[in-house]
Amino acid sequence: MTSPADHEELTRRAFLEKCAEAGAHTFLFGSLFVTTAMMRLPQEATSRTVGPRGGTAKEVIYGFVVDTTKCIGCGSCVRACKAENNVPDGYNRTWVEQYTFFPNGEVIVNSPNGGENGFEDDLPERNMPEEIGQLPVRGFFVPKLCNHCIDTPCIQVCPVGASYKTAEGVVLVDPQRCVGCGYCVQACPFGSRFLNPETNTADKCTWCYHRITKGLKPACVEYCPAKARIFGNVNDPYSEISQILATNRVQVLKSYLGTRPRTRYIGLDSEVI
Amino acid sequence: MRHAKHFVRLFALLAVVLIAFLAVRAQVVPKDFGTLGRFRASAIKEAAMREPRHLGNEACSDCHAKVNDAWAAGKHHTPQCENCHGPGLLHVKVMSEDSVAAYPDRIKAFPKALRPTTGTQECLWCHLKTFERPSALKSIKNVERHTIEKGGTFTAASKCTDCHNPHTTVVKQ
Repeated sequence: MTSPADHEELTRRAFLEKCAEAGAHTFLFGSLFVTTAMMRLPQEATSRTVGPRGGTAKEVIYGFVVDTTKCIGCGSCVRACKAENNVPDGYNRTWVEQYTFFPNGEVIVNSPNGGENGFEDDLPERNMPEEIGQLPVRGFFVPKLCNHCIDTPCIQVCPVGASYKTAEGVVLVDPQRCVGCGYCVQACPFGSRFLNPETNTADKCTWCYHRITKGLKPACVEYCPAKARIFGNVNDPYSEISQILATNRVQVLKSYLGTRPRTRYIGLDSEVI
Repeated sequence: MRHAKHFVRLFALLAVVLIAFLAVRAQVVPKDFGTLGRFRASAIKEAAMREPRHLGNEACSDCHAKVNDAWAAGKHHTPQCENCHGPGLLHVKVMSEDSVAAYPDRIKAFPKALRPTTGTQECLWCHLKTFERPSALKSIKNVERHTIEKGGTFTAASKCTDCHNPHTTVVKQ
């Protein structure tokens, strides 16, 4: 459509075709521009190295260790968390699971109210089913919370940029941006998120971000009577958590998913999911 | 240029759409969105702003020094005040002298703004024997049986704190 001769022969159909062509070009170049612009967005400031001696000394990278061998299943963490963060009834930012193993290979996982009211001694009732009919052989408690993954599935799926990671590695929700679509709740493979019925936004463990930024420990760590939860700066080699990470063999939940959790577990059984 | 006005209309329309898009975008997208990543940068500050509700034993000992000293001298160290009594923030606000006048209704309804304790449930959270609980922990199977075994009389109103001091674990005579 450059030379005057073309103009004379330009039909309505040809004109529309050319318009569509121009539109397609605009779209292609436009999306290319947008893609390159997105790639130039500032990346997350955290270093990829996470370990007792990883990263540079100035950075604070928080880590969390759960020692399942010490947990007594009292539910203090759950109560402290719910009170500290005003978590509505029936929902939990952290919870405790009770694992009981029977000789026939049966495993019963129990978490009444997330362990908020402790655990009952319901062993006689648990023996009642005919198919088990035997005393359990072993059992333990496993506290669970948000893993604050390095490669987060929950942040990736957020359509409005309401979920984000701070420079310290804490995964948070912006309740002002959140539209409550629930994608992140479904994306989290650990069940750590829920839609808060009071605010209608996604809610999750923040590692008590309002406490740790004031130099306090998260409520669940502070009020664990068994010292089964350890929190601190993994970049400081003299911090308690660095010492524990250096002297223990730790495991993460669902490592095969590749989300690289920052919450690590001591004494994690292979049956724990 | 028979078709010139078509182009003018087309580009005018595009320009209007673009300006409308940019105007809406400027309104809808917060100013600090994208400065640190794909999120609102000030959300971090807002998340850190909230007031902690658990104040710690030091805050409690400002008024309850006697109990705190007994707790510190005793053997029941792992649970702190707020483990059993609940978060203290509201309690401090309600009980401080200038606030008493400000919240008379609240004080009337809920005198201390603390979690009410039963004197038994708080103990059993940790000390009820369950199969999964580590055996090193002192635990009882049943409150009634424990009371009778220790030579006491069990009634419906019996509490752990009838015999045990929860702050020091000393058994009352």
